[in-house]
Amino acid sequence: MVDVKEQINMNKKSNDVITLSVPNKPEYVSVIRLTVSGIANRMGFDIEEIEDIKVAISEACTNAITHGICEEENKFVVDFFTEEEKLTIYVYDNGKGCLSSNIKTPNIGELKEGGLGVFIIKSLMDDVEITSNNGKGTVIKMTKRVGDDV
Amino acid sequence: MALMINKKYNEQDQIWNLELSGEVDIYTVEKLKETFNKIIEEKKETIRIDANNLDYIDSTGLGVLIGAFKKLKIEEKTIIIYNIKPSIKKLLNITGLDKIFTIEG
Ligand SMILES: Nc1ncnc2c1ncn2[C@@H]1O[C@H](COP(=O)(O)OP(=O)(O)OP(=O)(O)O)[C@@H](O)[C@H]1O
Ligand SMILES: [Mg+2]
Repeated sequence: MVDVKEQINMNKKSNDVITLSVPNKPEYVSVIRLTVSGIANRMGFDIEEIEDIKVAISEACTNAITHGICEEENKFVVDFFTEEEKLTIYVYDNGKGCLSSNIKTPNIGELKEGGLGVFIIKSLMDDVEITSNNGKGTVIKMTKRVGDDV
Repeated sequence: MALMINKKYNEQDQIWNLELSGEVDIYTVEKLKETFNKIIEEKKETIRIDANNLDYIDSTGLGVLIGAFKKLKIEEKTIIIYNIKPSIKKLLNITGLDKIFTIEG
């Protein structure tokens, strides 16, 4: 009994960093979804929030794989920073970088295929920052706060 | 995680019935694309998707649906989706696709 209580206390205050180094292969995106749902569940996010985070991180990883490819580096990196009240996720790739002009708000009336990913990430997460160094890859940082119904 | 697709053409209603189970993401999307291309080539009729067992769809999957819808629209056919899980409904809502496709239930 004492053990359980201690564990709960430990869970509460843990500020941790988890790092994944992921091969640039489509089959690993579902593994990342499973990983993040485990992390988010442990932090006390509810089911809807966990779904939001899963969708957002998948979109970021899919972009790292499809747009962030680089000859020399065949992997990308995902960092999870867990704090008591929020989860911050970074997805880094070593691709060619992206032009912010490539990222537009989709106009669904145009019925264009593609260009939804970043828009979806921004809609589902509380904070999103995309940083790109030309030729040096892209970093997308996204934050979700626990129990923050927007 | 896998994607399973069950397709059946209903002669009487002139409609494709498609049952999707599992997850559509960058790994499984090719399979979805192939199926859509194939059935539209066979018969350009409305596609009715049972999403009861569809757990997940990402932007690449939505892109395939948009592509298929564009081809059907020319013939005044459409895409109907029903039995949608809340998380997927939210996605259709955010992207405005709930106003493009016919959402039932
Ligand atoms: N990691 C990345 N590296 C380089 N360019 C990127 C990266 N992520 C996004 N981009 C650029 O931003 C654009 C918009 O990305 P977004 O995810 O919104 O759409 P998409 O990937 O083209 O299509 P969809 O996500 O709907 O399948 C991409 O087309 C690409 O040009
Ligand atoms: Mg994308």
